[in-house]
Order: sequence, then C-alpha cells, then structure tokens
Amino acid sequence: MAQPLVLFKNRHPNRVATLDEYRQSGGYAALERFIGGKIDPGEVVRLIDESGLRGRGGAGFPAGKKWEAVPKNAPFPRYLVANADEMEPGTFKDRILLHTDPHCVIEGMILAGYAFSATKGFFFIRPSYDSSAAIMERELEIARQSGFLGKSILGSGYSFDIVVHRSGGRYICGEATALLNAIMGKRPNPIKPPPYPTEKGLWDRPTVVNNVETLACVPHILRNGPQWFKDLSLTSKGAGTKLFCVSGKVNSPGAEELPMGTPLREIIEKHFGGMLPGSEFKACLPGGASTRFLTSEHYDVPMDFDDLKAIGNRLGTAAIMIFDQKTCLVATTHNLMKFFARESCGWCTPCREGLPYMRELLWLIENGEGKEEYIDTLRSMCKQVWNSYCALAPGAAEPVASLLEFFEDEVREHIRLKGCPFNAKAGN
Amino acid sequence: MPRLVIDDLEIEVPKGTKVIDAAERLGIMIPRFCYHEALGAVGACRMCAVKFIEGPLKGVQMSCMIDAQDGMVVSTTDQEAVDFRKRVIEWLMINHPHDCPVCDEGGQCLLQDETVSSGHGRRRYPGRKRTYRNQYLGPFIAHEMNRCIHCYRCSRYYQEFSGYRDLGPLQIGNRVYFGRFKEGRLESPFSGNLVDICPTGVYTDIPARFKVRRWDLQRAPSVCINCPLGCNTIGNSHYRAVMRVEARMNPYVNGYFLCDEGRFGFSYTNGGADHAQRPWNSRISGADVTVEAALAESASKIAEISAIYGPGAVVALGSTRNSLETQSMLSRLCRRKGWQGPVWFNDPAIYRKVRSGVERLDSGIAVSMREIEFADFVIVAGADLLNEAPMAAMAIRQASRKNATIIVVDPRPISLPFEFRHIPAAPAQIERCLGSLVKGSISKDELKGFDSSAKGFCKALPAKFEEKESGISISELSGQLMSAKRPVIVCGTGIVCESTPAFAADCAQLLRESGKKAGLFYILPGASSFSSALLSGPETKTFSEILPQIEEGLIKALIATESDPFWDFPDRERLDRALSMLDLLVVIDYLPTETVKRATVFHPSSTVFEMNSTFVNQEGRVQHAERVHVGGVPIWGAHPPRIIRNFVPGGDHQPAWELLWKISAETSMLESVLTLGELIAAEIPVFEAVGHSKYPITEGRIIPENSEGSFVKPKASPAKGQTAKGFNLLLTDTIFASREPSAYADTLASVFPEATLFMHSGDANGAGLSEGDMVSVELELGAIQLKLSVSQRMARGFLFLPRQRGIHWQKMKEFSAWIAPERIRKI
Amino acid sequence: MLSEELKQELRKMIADAESSREKAVDVMLDIQEHHLWMSDEAMEEAAELLGMSPLELDELATFYDFIYRSPVGKYVIHVCDSAMCWLEGHQRVMDHISTSFNVPIGGTSPDGLFTLLPVCCIGYCDRAPAMVINRRVYGKLTPEKIDRILGRLARDNEFHPPE
Repeated sequence: MAQPLVLFKNRHPNRVATLDEYRQSGGYAALERFIGGKIDPGEVVRLIDESGLRGRGGAGFPAGKKWEAVPKNAPFPRYLVANADEMEPGTFKDRILLHTDPHCVIEGMILAGYAFSATKGFFFIRPSYDSSAAIMERELEIARQSGFLGKSILGSGYSFDIVVHRSGGRYICGEATALLNAIMGKRPNPIKPPPYPTEKGLWDRPTVVNNVETLACVPHILRNGPQWFKDLSLTSKGAGTKLFCVSGKVNSPGAEELPMGTPLREIIEKHFGGMLPGSEFKACLPGGASTRFLTSEHYDVPMDFDDLKAIGNRLGTAAIMIFDQKTCLVATTHNLMKFFARESCGWCTPCREGLPYMRELLWLIENGEGKEEYIDTLRSMCKQVWNSYCALAPGAAEPVASLLEFFEDEVREHIRLKGCPFNAKAGN
Repeated sequence: MPRLVIDDLEIEVPKGTKVIDAAERLGIMIPRFCYHEALGAVGACRMCAVKFIEGPLKGVQMSCMIDAQDGMVVSTTDQEAVDFRKRVIEWLMINHPHDCPVCDEGGQCLLQDETVSSGHGRRRYPGRKRTYRNQYLGPFIAHEMNRCIHCYRCSRYYQEFSGYRDLGPLQIGNRVYFGRFKEGRLESPFSGNLVDICPTGVYTDIPARFKVRRWDLQRAPSVCINCPLGCNTIGNSHYRAVMRVEARMNPYVNGYFLCDEGRFGFSYTNGGADHAQRPWNSRISGADVTVEAALAESASKIAEISAIYGPGAVVALGSTRNSLETQSMLSRLCRRKGWQGPVWFNDPAIYRKVRSGVERLDSGIAVSMREIEFADFVIVAGADLLNEAPMAAMAIRQASRKNATIIVVDPRPISLPFEFRHIPAAPAQIERCLGSLVKGSISKDELKGFDSSAKGFCKALPAKFEEKESGISISELSGQLMSAKRPVIVCGTGIVCESTPAFAADCAQLLRESGKKAGLFYILPGASSFSSALLSGPETKTFSEILPQIEEGLIKALIATESDPFWDFPDRERLDRALSMLDLLVVIDYLPTETVKRATVFHPSSTVFEMNSTFVNQEGRVQHAERVHVGGVPIWGAHPPRIIRNFVPGGDHQPAWELLWKISAETSMLESVLTLGELIAAEIPVFEAVGHSKYPITEGRIIPENSEGSFVKPKASPAKGQTAKGFNLLLTDTIFASREPSAYADTLASVFPEATLFMHSGDANGAGLSEGDMVSVELELGAIQLKLSVSQRMARGFLFLPRQRGIHWQKMKEFSAWIAPERIRKI
Repeated sequence: MLSEELKQELRKMIADAESSREKAVDVMLDIQEHHLWMSDEAMEEAAELLGMSPLELDELATFYDFIYRSPVGKYVIHVCDSAMCWLEGHQRVMDHISTSFNVPIGGTSPDGLFTLLPVCCIGYCDRAPAMVINRRVYGKLTPEKIDRILGRLARDNEFHPPE
C-alpha cells in the first residue's frame, strides 16, 4: 500500500510516538521556523488558506478563514480550542491520532494559536478518551520542558500554553458554541451567532475552535508548503489526506490515513479488508451518524467534501459505518434516532420533542405496530426539524430522510408484515 | 430605519427591531412562547416561525431572532409557516397533560390559546406522556412540571433578569426539569413573577389556587400601595374576596413585574382567611352600630368639642397610605374647620427628610425606574432597597446587567441580587463619602465652567474619604464616575441624616452641571409620602410634636384617618396613656390596628381595591387605582350567615375622604362646589398648574418646578469615632413585615423574616457574642429578645433593629436609642 | 464530607483556572474518584468551592453522562449502545453482565460492586462492542473477556489494562 503517510507517519502498533520520533520525522521544524523565526502570523494564515485545508470535524469550514475572522484589533486574551470531543457515532479518528502522534496535534495547536495571537489553548476532550487525555497531559509537559510551549516560545516573545479540559460527556458538547459554554462551566446549550466565537467566544473574548485532525495538518502544511498539501488529494478541488475510520461489516475496521478523494470502493476493499464473508454492501453512512445513507449506486464515489455534496451527501467526519444485506435499516435508524433524542440538549422544541416523536414512530414500525401514515409524518418532520436552533436535529433527520428515500420498500414491508423482516433484535 | 412588509402591510421600524416586534406594531401577534419583551429573544420554542418571501433572507425563520431589514417581505400566513407552527404545537402537546379543566392557568394560558388557534385538536402521537415529580417551592408558588413546555422563560427570568440562583434547568433532552436543587421556599422576593411569565400552568399562585375560574374574576387596574414605588397591578376578585394580584405592565414604573410583598400582601382587604381580621362594622365604644349612627356620633362630638374648646382642640391624623383624595380632603377640612393638622408622620426627622427631598426633586433631575435601568453608574446612599422598595433593586439589577457600576453607601449589611461595591459608612459619614466621590469626578475644566454657587458647593465638598474596612478606593470610583454619562443617585430617607436628601440633590445637580445626564431617585417611607409633602408646610407638625399637647389636655379629640401611631411610635405606654386622656378618638380605617381597638367611634373605610383612588409615587407620578369590587365579607372560606338581608355583610365601608366629609358636616363642599378633581387641584396647586382638575386625574408626573435649585453649602460632617462606648440603635424596615397594609396580610405571615438584630462582627466579638445567639437588649423602657446576626459588611458601633410586625420594640423614648454594651447580653 | 486534603487539592485546581466555574466538571469527577457519586452534601461542598450555588452546579451535574447524582457501585460499567456496538451485540453484553454478575440493568449489584448503565457511542466503533468502566475502555467484548475483566475487578480489585 503506497499511502502518503502524513499524520500517521509515526504510527506504531500499541505505542505512542515520542517527542524524539516526532522531531526526527520533521516535527517542530515548522514551529522553529515560523515562531522561532518570528515570521508574521499573517503568513501562517496565508499558507493555510492557500493549502485549501478544510475543517475535519464535520462542517468542512476553511481553517484559514476561521482564523482570519478574528479581527486584527480584537482584544486579548484570545483563545484556541482543540475540539477532541469526537462524539459523532462511528467516529474515532481523533482518538487514534492522539494515540499515534500527540505532538503533531500540540505543534498544530501552537501554530494555530500563533496565527491569530492566541494566549491560551484548551484541549477539550470527552471522558471516554481518558487515556488520550492522560497522554496529552504528559506530552504537553514534555513540550513545555522542551521550550515549545509556555512563556516566550523558543525565545520568540510569543507565549502560549495549553490546558486539557475534560468534558462530562455529551454529544452536544462537540458543537462549537455548546463546547464554549461547557468550558465556561455553563450548561452546554449552543448559542446562535452572531456574535461569532471568533469575535466573542470564551468569556466574550475572540476564540477559535478547531478539530484535532485539522490542527494536526497545520505543521505539515507549513513545513511542506500548500501546494504539497493540495497535491496529496486525489481530487482537484480537495486537499490533503484524510483520516477515514471505518466500522461495521468489513474485515478490518479501524482508521487509516488516505488521500482525500479516495473512492469508497477502494477504501472498503483495499484498505479495510473488504466486506465480511457472506456480507454484501447494502449501504453506509459516509460521515458519521448525521449523514445520509449512501447506497451501492454510489459505491465508487470519491470521498471528498465536494463529491459527496454532489450526490446530496456529506463527508462529515469521514466515519464510514458499513451495513450489509442482513442489517435492518429501520432498526439501525431507530438506534441512531435513539442516540440523537437522548443527546438533544433540550433547548429547542423540534429537537427536544420532535426527535423522540420520530424515534417512537420508528420503534413502532420496527416492532410491527407501524401505520402507513407514519411514513408521511416522518417525512414531514424530517423537513421540519431543519427549523431547529442548531444542527443536531437536522443531522439526526438525515438517516431517516434517506431511509425513506432509498429504502421506503423496506419500511413498508415492516408495516405490511407487522414486524421486522430481518428479525433483527433492536434495543429500545 | 428599515422598511419591510408583513402580511401585505408596510412598516418602518427603528434599527434593531425584531420582526416579531415589527409585526406587533402592525397589530399582528405572531405566536410565541419563549420570547418576552423583558427577557429578549433566545429562539428556543420555535413557535414564532414565519416565512420570508423576499429580501436578504428566505424561507421559514424565527421572527424573534431576526432584525427587521430593508426590503423584507414576510408572511405569517404562508402555509409552510402555518404548518410548522402547528407541528410545534403538536410536539409541545405530546407531553402536556389535558388538565385544563382543573388548571388555574386555564383561560389565561398562552399554550391553550395558541393550541386552539393553531387548529391542533387531535392527538396523533402514539407514545406515552412524560411525567415529573413536583417540588415544594414555598407558600406562594405551586409547581406542576408535567405542564412544562420548556420555553426557559422561568429560568431566564429567575436567574438572568432577577439575579437569583436557586431555580434553573436541570437534566437534558426531553427530561429537562425546571426546579430547585432541593425542595424549599424560593429565595427570590420576586418569585411571584414566575406565575405571570410562565406561558402555561407550571407555576400557579397558591393563594388563588383552585378557587376560581379565570373568566369569573372581576378585574381592574390597580396600584400597589405597600411601598413608595407605586407598581402597577391588576386586582382580581371573586365572591367579594380579592383572590390575587397580578403585575400590570407600565414601562416607566415596574415594567412587567412585581415583588412578592406587592403581589401576595393583599389579604388584609379580605380580613384574612377567616375574614375576621378586618373591622367591617361601624362602632361606638366597641359596640356595632349603623353607619349613620356612627357618622352622627362623630359629627356631633366633634362639633361639641370644637364649640367648647375651640377647633384647635381637634387634631386630624392622616398617613402615607391615604389616597390623594383623602389627603386632599384632610387638608381642606383642617383649614376650613380650624382643626390642627393634618399630621402625616410620627417621626419629625423622617418628615423633614421627606419634605426636603420632595422640595429638591426637579422634573429635570427626577428619574423613573425605567431610566435607572439605563443608568451607567448608580450610587445608593442610605437605602436598603430589597427591604424598603424592592422593585427599585430590580431596576438597578437591569443597569448592572448592562455593566453599570453600582455603589451602595449604607451602614447596614446590605444584600442585593447583583454585584455592587458596598461602603458601610455610618449615617453621619454618608455625605462625606458621596461628596468626595462626586468631587473626585469633577475635572478642573468642568469646575472652571461652573457658576459661583456650584463652584462653592464643589469646593466645599470633602476631598478625601477613607473607608478602611471595605478596602474600596473612592478615587478609583470617582474616576469611573467621571466617565459615566447617565449616573443616578438613589437616596433613602430612613437612616440618613436630615441634611442628606438635599445634599444628594445637590450632588446630582452638580453632576448635571458637569455635563452628565444625572438623575435622582428618592426612596420615601410610604405610598403617599410625596403628596403628604406637597400638602405640608413649615408649620406642619408630626405626631411626636402633637403628643405633648394631648398630654397637657390641650387636645381633646383626635381623628385618625388610616393612621396608626402605634405602628411606629417608639414609646407605646406613653402613647397609650396619652390617648386615654382624649375625650374623643375617631378612627377611620380598614386595618385592625391598635388605634382602631381604642376608638371611641370607628368608621370602616374602603381599601384600595374597593374604591377609585389616586396615588402619587415617590417620583411624583400620579396613578389611578380603579375599584376592583364593591367589597364586603367574602363568601369564601367561612360562609357568612345565610340570613336574607337587603345589605351586603361587611359592606359598610366608604372611601375615607367621603367619611371625613360626612363627619365634618361640610355639606356644600362636594355636592355643589367642588368635584374631587377640583378639590385636589385646590389643595395642591401643582395639579391646577398642569391642568389636572378633572377626575379621574390624568396619569403623569406632577413634579413642581424647583425654583430654588441652589446649592446648599455642605456642613462639615462630624469627625469619625465615638467618644462614649456603646451602640447607636437604629430602626430599619424589612420586606413583608414592616409596612402597612401588607404586614396585616395573613398570606405573608409565614414568610415574615425571623426577628433579628444586626451587629458588626468585630463589635460582637468584643461583647462575647456570635452569630445566631439569642440576645436580650435592654431598651430604655424594657427588654426585647431576639436573634443576633453579625456581619463584617456593616458600620461599627451600630445596632439595627427591624421595625417589623410581631416584634414589640416600642420600648424606646425616641426613634433611636443609645445602648451601652452591658445592656446587650446573651440568653 | 470532603476531606480537608481533597478540598485543598480542589481549591488549588480551581485557583489555576481562568474562572472557577470552568473547573466544575473536573471537581465533580475528582470527588467521584473518592466518593463514587455526587451526593447532595458533596454537591453543596463542591458548589461552595466553585463559588456556585448548588443549583447551578446541579444544572451541570444532571446534564452530563459521567456525573452520577444517585449512588453507584464501585465500578460503573457503561456499555455502548450506539450504532456499531448495537449492531455487534451490545444487548448480549448487557445481558451477560447482568446475569453473570448479578447487576440489574440500570442498577447496582447487591454487593455494591458494579453498576450497569448504557452509554452513547464512546468512539471505539472499530472495537465493538465496547464498554467503559470508571473511564477505562474495553472493546471487542466476548463473554469470556467480560468474565476476565469483571472477575479480576471483583476478585482482586484490579483493572485490566484499558485499550
């Protein structure tokens, strides 16, 4: 396998790469050049902008643009938050990354902080990643002692430190504005911009929230140049590599770093061992639980932001959950809806009341008590929850909407048979 | 100003107006739950969805979250928006119980109204309803969480608006629960507003609970008379009982809200739960008589005494809970009949403070509570707002939320629901502190521009004020005041020195001269203090000054009109002895006061709920209270005897002014010569000046122009430190329990604060006392026992004693006392 | 109820933060390390340390999955029930733990050792079905593997190395 190893180049089985290993592979060279060399932070932003790096947390917002959104004359302190909440079902790439090469993330955070003159960084991490949090705390101290972090980094006059903030655990905390509330010790309800966090974030100060994987790309881009990063992608519009995490009915589930735009077929068959014996590809969720079912019709789609958008789907977190012909997608969708309904923060009506309503209807269909009219109700609610406060409920509706679009027959069969044709056991 | 079209109607609105408000200006009420003008927009309920057809935005959007912009074309009736709103109702109703027939909110329920108007009428959701356990929240508010639709209005009001931290959202998702950490009484003295603000029946008013259907209530606009602020209310009555009081929106006074004392302190008008605590009938020497017999008795006895001893042997007492009509009548009668009075106050010092304050209030400088909300620097001098005028604290909280600096200069251990800098200065130091604060904010250039009197005043202000205990730097605060644009001075009239109200006015005036839009807001002692002052002159006496004349036998008759000297006269025994020397004690009242008990002739008067009346609040705002019901013994609770009669039991009461007129035997006055409006205008010239001689009087402010406006040279404050060892004992007010008439409301009895003496912790240490001790304080005329509370955040050398119902503190010779250390001991 | 030593440690942690509320979750997680769950008393003491009202802290405590406001066992087993673990038999895992170790689902074993709760996706989808025990994760669960992990906890009070 000729993989362009960037983020995973220091990957060792069951072992975290050390600072020395990271440095030998070119680590902290970008930091030394840009911060040690006191290169204008604007240059960092420009290079990242040029590289086409888009946010890896799900929304795909250009990273450079986000930093630029911090007004030049904005007050201090300014904050950077690395979002390691990673609670989108099916997603675990950031965990693997943190267990592989934590300094790549640390260096990325420092450089990102430098780009908009941040004074402090928060590393926000979910509680089930306690081992990753411990690794980060240990490696941060090592970085500090090596002069890469803390007061006047490498004597440049630029000071920046990072603390690890443990979450109490809730899906909504991954939403940037809810996350900021969580850090401030408030209830993690999202806050609708404006003002944007880049103007008024933590304690009303300018704050940038970036995904861990996005930050990890930064030192590599700065070291190798934007064109190098663009060239990593297989698609013309894409840039870089992407950590794909694949789970479900394949032979070797896990996370691999592949060029942006690698076709789905190649990902499944070449990099994750192909479908399990006796399993045929029925559908997958290409970017986590809040994306649409992707059917075999698009088995060859290049996995990139724009290509998936072209077929009405999203790259999301590039967490591909694969289902075979033996999987009941009604039960699966019910399971996903159960997740979203439980994780709704309870702020707005469509999400708080609408999602449990949809979950209830899916449960009844799956258990043989469904009615034809439920299909219309579900369809209309899938549209209506788009009028929610944040993106949680619209995301939650995606699997349902696509279930009704691509697998309506399967749903109707449940209703006709008064039960699940797959006889799959679903939890409530 | 953006122009937009809503439902084919064009409107231009100020920049920053939300679409939902723009629609309301056109008379289009877009359904909403979470949005409330006082709380702002948060976009939680999603009920106010409308369709944006043209303009910068398209599609279904929440009208509360979007600023009106040029070129917008909005439809509230678009099918997609209508369908979505109907769906929101369906979502909300999947868990809402169908208990409207037994819910007190029924008939005034926003959820009910919007469910009906959305057309949602059939339950389609096949699942079960969610249920919650309720919490005990105290004696005022019932909790019924199953009804909750999660609009977050309650927690936003409770925490953000009112500043209390014991009620909020718990849990997550569709299990979110609004409640307390543990069951218990809500800490906020503004908790009753939860009832008004909840769009459905989660919080209901306990005193009125399960008693009456909304549509059966008799309702009328009223005014709260429990403190000087005059918050606007709605009285609700049924079966001759006032069932509940709600807030009535007045943007200049109370906004949408009320304090709990104003909301729940009404049951005195019903005579309490058993209706027995109100003197319903006319009496002569304690025996019930007819109205006519009592009036005839008073009239003839007064005439007799006037004839024998001269009219000067008759004294008329009024009070600061009289209506403007009654006060005007008292004033007129005293002049026409030659009676002494009217007497409004017991304490001469309080009277002089009120009068000097009202004299110095100028229409240019007086601010309303609304204006306080927009102040950027507030100095509270000698006022304990939560206890003396609670809603004023709410107004300052809104200023605080907008980052105003708040300074409280007061010797008491003040607590307020917002951040403030407390300088615990002794009363005699308040002027020094205020003066140096203001002086420090005046720049040299500004000083040059002043006229000579302002210059003289400013120069005479103390340059330095040292407050060691609080560790607050006055010069730093002066710096902040210097950059303030809209500072407000809130000045009390209770514990401050006599010169302080006028001094505060001078300070506010000086700030105005330095180019600021400075304001002044007095806290006066009662609902009608302002008009009392307008009806007073240099010759006006207080009851303390009248008392020796009674004792010397010069005064033979006393007409006490809604006035109870026992309420706050310090020496009860002396008062009792003096009153027993009178030949005649005519009492007109609706409260069961100590004076009523001693009346020779008693006439029952109407409460604010039983008559049309006018009150002038402490900023000079004339407000009208309409009659809510005729009144009489309520049919609630103990049913009155079922005897067929042609009169209303307990229906003898009449407005006090009418009773006065009748006992004065001034027949011509009202019938042919004067209307009520003319009477008031004749007594208080300023009413005539503003053309308010018709009746009811037009509401509005009637502050006389301050012709003097001159600066009084500040006196040198006494040097700090006391020579004699001991404590200065001062009387203070406390919420719920200190004021007539609310302290007579049995609805409040269970929330009376525990009787507590306040003392500096350093002083307590020295005396071997500590927090929570039961102490005995030997006053000049006897001892009282109560709990001790100590604080570091108060002035040393002082004791503060709450003048509250239930504490028999009236064992003092004067309105304050000097207590030697050995006279306080632990028991 | 909190020891002075623990309080001192928490005070220091709070003092290092930008604002004290920022440490609310950390404080509660730390207290749970010592006292397993957040009792009312613990909440009140923690709130005081954080300068919050108990209600304000409870607003957070009841929001999060990993803060316990009811008594839990010494080891809290969260079994993931989201898509991949569900597909790979989370129910079998729950049932197995429940019957073999006498833990009612959603409850605590009579000996106070184990509490069994579901949890949403814990990010170990590649190792489904997975569970978290006191913030240590174990994946690719089989009945034998569960027996080994829980057996060792029950017998020796020792954790298998987490994954």
